[in-house]
Amino acid sequence: MKVSMLKRPVIMLVLVNVLAFVLLYSYRMPPSANTLLIGASILTLSAATYLMISRNHLGDEYLFLIVSMLVTIGVAMLCRIKYALGIAQVGWYLIGICVFYAAYAAMRYVGLWRRLKWAYAGMSALLFAATLAFGVTINGSRNWIILGGHSFQPSEVIKILFVFFIACCYGQPKTERRGKISVKYIVTGVTYVFMLFLIMQREWGMTLLFFATYLVLTYIYENDKLLLLGNVLLTSVVGLVGYHALWHIRIRIASWINPWADISNTGYQITQSLFAIASGGFFGKGIGLGNPEFIPEVHSDFIFSAICEEMGILGGVAVILLYFIFVYRGVKIALMLPEGFEKCVAVGLTVLFGIQTFMILGGVVKLIPLTGITLPFVSYGGSSLVTSFVSLGILQAISAKRRLAGD
Amino acid sequence: MINKRIIRVLTLISFLFVSLIGYLTYFQLTRGEDILQSPYNKRQWEYDDTVKRGSFLDRNGKVLAYSQDGKRFYSFGALYSHVIGYNSNIYGRTMLEARFNKLLLGRRELTEVFNLNIDSKTGYDLTLTVDHALQSYAANRLGGKNGSVVAINPKTGEVLALVSKPDFDPNEDALIKNWNDLTEDEQSPLLARATSGLYPPGSTFKIITTTAALENGLAAETFDDIGSVTIGGAVFENFGKKANGVIDLKKAFALSSNFAYCTLGAKLGSGRMGSAAERFGFNKSFDFDIDMNQSKFPMNDTDEAGSAALAIGQGKLLATPVHMALAACAVANDGVIMKPYLVAYATNASGGRVYEVRQQQLYRAMSAENAAKIKDMMVETVKSGTATASVIRGVTVAGKTGTSENELLNQMKDKEHAWYVCFAPAEDPQIAVAVMLEYSGGSGGGLCAPIARDILRQYFKK
Repeated sequence: MKVSMLKRPVIMLVLVNVLAFVLLYSYRMPPSANTLLIGASILTLSAATYLMISRNHLGDEYLFLIVSMLVTIGVAMLCRIKYALGIAQVGWYLIGICVFYAAYAAMRYVGLWRRLKWAYAGMSALLFAATLAFGVTINGSRNWIILGGHSFQPSEVIKILFVFFIACCYGQPKTERRGKISVKYIVTGVTYVFMLFLIMQREWGMTLLFFATYLVLTYIYENDKLLLLGNVLLTSVVGLVGYHALWHIRIRIASWINPWADISNTGYQITQSLFAIASGGFFGKGIGLGNPEFIPEVHSDFIFSAICEEMGILGGVAVILLYFIFVYRGVKIALMLPEGFEKCVAVGLTVLFGIQTFMILGGVVKLIPLTGITLPFVSYGGSSLVTSFVSLGILQAISAKRRLAGD
Repeated sequence: MINKRIIRVLTLISFLFVSLIGYLTYFQLTRGEDILQSPYNKRQWEYDDTVKRGSFLDRNGKVLAYSQDGKRFYSFGALYSHVIGYNSNIYGRTMLEARFNKLLLGRRELTEVFNLNIDSKTGYDLTLTVDHALQSYAANRLGGKNGSVVAINPKTGEVLALVSKPDFDPNEDALIKNWNDLTEDEQSPLLARATSGLYPPGSTFKIITTTAALENGLAAETFDDIGSVTIGGAVFENFGKKANGVIDLKKAFALSSNFAYCTLGAKLGSGRMGSAAERFGFNKSFDFDIDMNQSKFPMNDTDEAGSAALAIGQGKLLATPVHMALAACAVANDGVIMKPYLVAYATNASGGRVYEVRQQQLYRAMSAENAAKIKDMMVETVKSGTATASVIRGVTVAGKTGTSENELLNQMKDKEHAWYVCFAPAEDPQIAVAVMLEYSGGSGGGLCAPIARDILRQYFKK
C-alpha cells in the first residue's frame, strides 16, 4: 500500500509543494506564516480538483496534475520575486479552477459548439476592434483593455476562439461541406485578417503563434502543399519587408544575434536573462538565494530564467519536460478521437500550447529571437492563467468524452 | 492519414523541446562561465559587495593587493599591473584578478553547488610564486625601456618574476584618470609584453635549431665561416659580418654564427625544425594562469631560404618572452619543461589551504643527453662567446643571446629587438631568466646580458 502511494504522481506534487514553500518560508526574512498558507491553499486547491477528476472519472487524470505542478512552481517563484504577485496568482488560480469546471461542463454537455463558426470569427473581430478602440499600451504592445480596474488581454481569449473557428472548418466532414469557396481559403483569409489586427497592436509573438498554429492545422487537415508553400513564401517576403521597414523587428533580431553589442539598451533584457541562467548552473542557487529581480519583466515573460537561476538548468529541464508530457497527453487524446470537430479542437489547443511554450522558452534562453508572450500556467497574469484554464477545461471534457466512447 | 500527420507534428514539437534542453546544456557548459564573469553581470558586484575580496601575497607573504571598504588597492602601483591586473567596477577585471575571481570571492565548485558558504564573508587569499624583491629589482633594472623580464624556476615551473614594460597604475582612481591616455598611447601600456607580446626570437631560437640538429645526426658538422652565406638566393650575414673561420657546432652556437646555422637550417628543412619547435610548445597553447598568446612556427615555409631564416629565429617565427624563458628551462631541466604557474595556493581566513597547485610536466622538449650538450654550449657562450657580459664570479651561467630583425627595420635603423635567455647555476639550475627589449636597436649580448646578470646576482645574493 505504501509503495503504491509513493509511486503515484500526486505524491510528487505534494513533495514539490512542501519543499518549495518550506524553503521559501525559511529564506524569506522575517519568516511569515503567510508563505506556508499560500503553499497549503495551492495544495488544497490542486488536490481537491485532482480528487474530483479521478474519483468521478472526469477524463484524463494527468493533464491537471501536470498543470498544478507548473502552477505550484510558478507561484513559488512569484512569491520569491514579489510577494504580492504570488498572493494575487493564488487568487487567479482559484478563479482559473472555477473557469476550468465551467469550461468542462460547457464543452461536455452543450452540443452546439461546432455550429458557431461565424460567431467565433465575429466575437474575435469585435474583441480586436475593442482593443484597437479602447486598448492601452503596456510594454510596447497596445493589447490590453482595462475592465473594472483589471487589465486584460483580449488576444488570450481570441486564441481559443481562433482554434474553435478552425476546428469548425477543418473538423467538418468533407461530405457535409457546402459553399463555393473551399474551407481552406476561408481559414487562410480569416487567419490573415487576425494577423493584421495583431500586427496593428504590435503583438509580434501572438502574430507568429497564430500563424504557426494555422500552418500546422492546415498541414494536418488539407492536402495542399502549394498552399503551405505559398504561405511560407508570402510571410517570408512580408517578414523581410517588415525587417527593413520596422525598427521594432530589426532590434529584436539584432538583440538576438548579438545582445552584447547594445547591452545597456536593447540587449539589456536578454543579457540579464542569460546572466541569471548562467549563474544558476546545473543545480541552481536555491530558492531565495539568487538575484532574479535584476531581470526586467521577470514575473511574466522571463519567469523561466528565474527558475533556471534558483532551481538550476536541471530544474528548467524538469519544467520543459512537464510541458512536453502535457503536449504528449494532448496529442494522445486527439489521436484516440474519431475525426471531427473535437479532435481538431484538441489538436489545435495542444499545438498552440506547445508552440507558445517553445517560443517564449527559446526566446529567454536566446535560442530564437525574443517574442513577448507569457509562459502558460507559470507566468504571472490573470488573462493568461484564466484562459489557459479554459483550454484545459475544454481538453479535459474532450478526453472524458473519448473515455465514455471508448468504454 | 490525419493521425499520421498529428504524430509527425508531435515529433516536430518533441524535437523543438529537446533542442531547448540541448541548447540550455550546451550554453551552460560552454558559455556559462564566460557570461558569469562579464563585467555587466550585476550579480558579481552584488556578491562582491557582501564579500571581502581576498588579497594577493608574494611568495614570502608580502601583501601585493588587498581590499578595504569595498575598494581594491594595489600596494606597488604599476609593478604588478601585467601580473595581477585590475579589478574595477567600471573596466572589469583582467589577468589574475579575472582568472581567480571565484577563489578571491571565496567560492569553490563544490561549495557553490551545495551553497555551503552562504555565511562566509571573506574571500580566499592567493599566494603567488613571485618573489617581490626580484620583481621590483627587475622592473627597476629595465627602467624606462620597453620590454620584458621573465624569471622561472626550471625545476618546478614557479614564476619568480614577470615584468612587462611599459606598465600602468591599476588602482581604480588612477584608471579613471588615465583610461583615455592608456588606450590611445602608441606604446600600448595595456599590452602585457611577457605573455601577449609576439616577437621574432632571433638567435635565442638556435637552442631549438640545435636540438633539431642533434636529433638528426648533424652534431659533428663543421663550418668554414666566411661571414656571410647565400642560400636559395637570399644573403644571410653574421652579426657585424664577422668571419669566424673553421668552427664546430659548439663554437658556432657560442659565437652565434648565422653562417653555420643558416647552412644547418637549409639542411634540416623547416619540417624537422618545426617538429622540434612544436615539442617546445610552438603552435600550441597551454593553460597558464594568465592568458598567453601562442608562439608561432610557420610549418609551410618549406623552401631553402625560408628554412635558413627560421633556423636563426627570423622569418615568420614569433615567440612570447615567457615562451623563450621556457626554452631555457628545457635545457636547464634535462629536457623537460615544467608547467609554469603564478598562483601557488589559496588560503581561507583561518589559514587553511583550500587550493594548491600540483607541479607537473608540461612538455618533454628533448632528451636529457641533448639537453646536457646544449647546456655545455650555453656555458661556452657565456665563457667565451657572445654573452660574456653575463659572467658572475662564483656562479656558472649558461646563456644564449639574440638580436632580431623586425618590421620597423625596413623603415629605420637601430630598431632590433634584443634578447637574452639564460639560467644558473649550470650544474644545478635554480633560475632561468629571459630578458627582451623591444625595438632597442642594440644586441642581446650588449643590452640584455648585463641586465640578466644583475637579476641573477640579486637572486643569488639572498
